[in-house]
Amino acid sequence: MKKIWVPLVALLLCILVLSKWTDSFRAFTIFSYTLQQAGTTPRDFPDIPLVDQDGKVFHIKDKHKYVLVNFVYLNCPSVCHKVNNRLEKIYHSISPEEVPSQLEFVTVSFDPKNDDIQRIKKYRSFFGTNINGWSFALPYQTGQNEFAQYLHQIGVWAYPAPGSGIINHSIYIFLVSPENKIIRIFDPAREDNLTITEKTQSCLNGRLTSSLY
Amino acid sequence: MFKWKINLIAVLIVSLLFYLLSYPLNDWLSLTMPRHQLLQLPAMFLLGIILNACCPNFEVKNISYGIAGLIFIMASLIFWMLPRSVDESVIHPNFNRTMHFNMLVAGFLTIAILRNTIFEIKIVFLGMVSAMLLATGVALRVFDMLLCSSFTIDQQKETGLYFILIAVGSFTGTLLVLFKSLNHK
Repeated sequence: MKKIWVPLVALLLCILVLSKWTDSFRAFTIFSYTLQQAGTTPRDFPDIPLVDQDGKVFHIKDKHKYVLVNFVYLNCPSVCHKVNNRLEKIYHSISPEEVPSQLEFVTVSFDPKNDDIQRIKKYRSFFGTNINGWSFALPYQTGQNEFAQYLHQIGVWAYPAPGSGIINHSIYIFLVSPENKIIRIFDPAREDNLTITEKTQSCLNGRLTSSLY
Repeated sequence: MFKWKINLIAVLIVSLLFYLLSYPLNDWLSLTMPRHQLLQLPAMFLLGIILNACCPNFEVKNISYGIAGLIFIMASLIFWMLPRSVDESVIHPNFNRTMHFNMLVAGFLTIAILRNTIFEIKIVFLGMVSAMLLATGVALRVFDMLLCSSFTIDQQKETGLYFILIAVGSFTGTLLVLFKSLNHK
């Protein structure tokens, strides 16, 4: 006897497993899965103390303005520098009236073992001296597990590959509102500078307050 | 008696190869994407096929269970080719070993099912696997964004190219099976 329910049940089970694994077929990479697991936007941007290139301790939530946050590590062989080069272009394409009065840029290193204040200060100088409103920062007095939890809550995937010094990571750029909520997430791999700039400016101009991501 | 001994030796050799690929060679095979996707995964599938050849009496004759098994095999292949699965299996060796075992079972079942199933199901299955390999290859080849964090874009594109070549070979094989079966009819 041909039992049609046997292959149907098998099909259903396989679809269920694949659906669960890909967060309802929305996240196929480890980057997008981590981001999806962090929740939908707008959502709170988690808070930890950061220390900038001048040794000044600050909290993003205390800025009370829009902040574009991205994560890098200075030993990165390529992608971090590419993203920062693009951020530099975005920074210069936004009106000086808006940066830093309404919008700031914060680039956080997720490699505090190797990156220190001197290194990030030197690295920042590669982008010019006239980048007021763009801070390069390190986590301040934050344990490894606590920082990993912080990244996880934001939706950033970071995994130090054993023995290589390489950190595999996501390259998303987060737009945080003055109310300390993530309102937009940009993927530099899929969005060009103009799109990121326009979307950021539309938020600054109040035309868009919630994410469509 | 003699055949029984040969089969036993073959099973022992397959077990030894499974151990070598899963443990001592695992780090080396996980180092680049082509090695991980084009050597380790098919090698385990092939070991499953060889294992089945050692147990020719194991056959799935019921067509319902056969189709269910083929769905399981397809889903397994899809699952282990997802970028997230690739990353997780590189990061967690035990998760990678789950893939090895899954591929071994998939290879074993493929022959056990296809040996007895009807011609139309064989063609549909082989055609679907070929199409899936082609789609994966094209996706890996054309995407300019990194899909697996553990590897590089160059490795991703190289893997894509080989997937496309394997898919072409698989389509050719499917056509050969099709025409061979038509000639028999």
